[in-house]
Amino acid sequence: MIRVFLVLLALLAVFFVLALALGDQRLPFSVVLGALLGAGETPGHVQTIVTGLRLPRATLAILVGAALGVAGAICQAVLRNPLAEPGLLGINAGAALAAMMIIVQAGTVPESLLPLATFAGAVTMIAVIFGFAWRGGTTSLRIILIGVGLSAMAGAGASFIATFGEIALVQRAMVWLAGSLQDSRWIKVQTLLIWASPVFLMIWMAARELDLIALGDTVARGRGQQVDLQRVLMMLACAVLAGASVAAAGPIAFVGLAAPHMARALAGRRHVALIPAAALIGALIVLVADLAARRAMPPLQLPVGVVTALLGAPFFGYLLWKKRYD
Amino acid sequence: MTERLYGLGMRDATLGYGRGGPVIEDLSLTIPSRRFTALLGPNGCGKSTILHGLAGLHTPQCGEVVLDGKSIRALGTKALARRVGLLAQTASAPDGLTVGELVRQGRYPHRPVFGAWSGADEDAVESALRRTSMTGYRDRPVDSLSGGQRQRAWIAMTLAQQSDILLLDEPTTYLDLAHQIDVLGLMRRLVDQEGATVVAVLHDLVQAARYADHLVLIRGGRIVAQGAPISVLTPENVKAVFGVDVVILSDPDSAAPICLPRCNGAATSNPQA
Repeated sequence: MIRVFLVLLALLAVFFVLALALGDQRLPFSVVLGALLGAGETPGHVQTIVTGLRLPRATLAILVGAALGVAGAICQAVLRNPLAEPGLLGINAGAALAAMMIIVQAGTVPESLLPLATFAGAVTMIAVIFGFAWRGGTTSLRIILIGVGLSAMAGAGASFIATFGEIALVQRAMVWLAGSLQDSRWIKVQTLLIWASPVFLMIWMAARELDLIALGDTVARGRGQQVDLQRVLMMLACAVLAGASVAAAGPIAFVGLAAPHMARALAGRRHVALIPAAALIGALIVLVADLAARRAMPPLQLPVGVVTALLGAPFFGYLLWKKRYD
Repeated sequence: MTERLYGLGMRDATLGYGRGGPVIEDLSLTIPSRRFTALLGPNGCGKSTILHGLAGLHTPQCGEVVLDGKSIRALGTKALARRVGLLAQTASAPDGLTVGELVRQGRYPHRPVFGAWSGADEDAVESALRRTSMTGYRDRPVDSLSGGQRQRAWIAMTLAQQSDILLLDEPTTYLDLAHQIDVLGLMRRLVDQEGATVVAVLHDLVQAARYADHLVLIRGGRIVAQGAPISVLTPENVKAVFGVDVVILSDPDSAAPICLPRCNGAATSNPQA
């Protein structure tokens, strides 16, 4: 178990350094290190590239991936469904609708409100889904079905706005919708850290609630768990994590679904190990995917969400294939 | 009902699901403490609903569920789970979950919100595994086990909860004869040696009469008869509850009543009709 975490951390460190060194201007390791440590002989423009552009981007990739991985692990435990992911709860659709409104109808609302609006869109969507699903209690299936239905409606709303929007603006919105780390700034890193880290800690400390709720409502109630309360709290945590990451980088596909599955294969089912493993794997996926997105067709930068799916899906398939006899 | 109710019981309880109307209505039931009680009745008669009601999973629409003279509503869910453990029917574990991980879950009501795993928790898990002969399977995934082992793993989880009252919904269904006897023998030992109170939904009248101290015959959400096996298992009662004509024999070993359906016995196949 410890070995799994050490390997994941080592991989993360390697790709972190690579993310700082590789780019349109390739930098040797020593220069990267010098810039990081603020050595006096580092030229100004190199300093800017490393600490002003690449460092916040790599850091944001790690945070976004970790938040999505944990949000996915929560979803899959609470909804007891291996296909569950934050997107299923309408987080992406809610955020997309908000983003469409802001970007396409630019001019009326300042675009600096985009992160706030998408976060609000994501969290509102979950609240609405819970509101509809609540009938003196909830069930996983009802939440999933209502989530799918309302997501489709929000998606239709976003498409409707896109149809009447100005082409250039719609295209910008579409790039945002694919998920991109191109606009990574320290303020985004800070915001995400402030929202996500307390939630992450709480979830990790309450990992055993997830262990139990994953066994089903009847079993959990028979052990004295307040299932409905836990489900609301956990979904709220999931909404904050995923919503904050969507606000920072747009909806990055696939990470929330795949990272928890990979984490389960490597670290087992107990959430006290699964949660940090899902965070590390999510971080690794987004970091590697963003590196690939930047370097695949320079100078063009692909949206990272496109690459997570392209990179992640085959690995996911390999994992399922390898475990097919278990 | 003026006398105080000790142990677990229901007072004029009405329980049901959503718009389907009540499954049981105005039911009063006292579970004898430190005894093995078997709930018997045809499918859909409300046995599981009663069990879930007793475990506090359903709040009665009217009436109340009572533990030691007080409504269980006054207890927190964890406090109740420390007294009453429920093993529901056909629970299924997620793929890959090991027996040890499953049994640990029984300790949930004993741990404070952010509390660490304690020595007492570990002892309870070890003991539960030992009593169900599952110690050697601790690291095996539950979904890789046979039906009988799986059932024992779930029972071990319920034992790890260390509640003095155990409610089991069809613990012997889907088990072969040897495993049925194993499970019933374990229940018997829990009552005789550890002073536990066991309530189980059973289908086999012969086994119920042999292992249980107290039988409750239920039909259509109402109690038809209750008491010691020898007084409850009469041809009239069995006919009234199951609609089957039986002859009652006597077990040469234990003198427990044995219900044997008569040839051409099932005159009315559906007692609910």
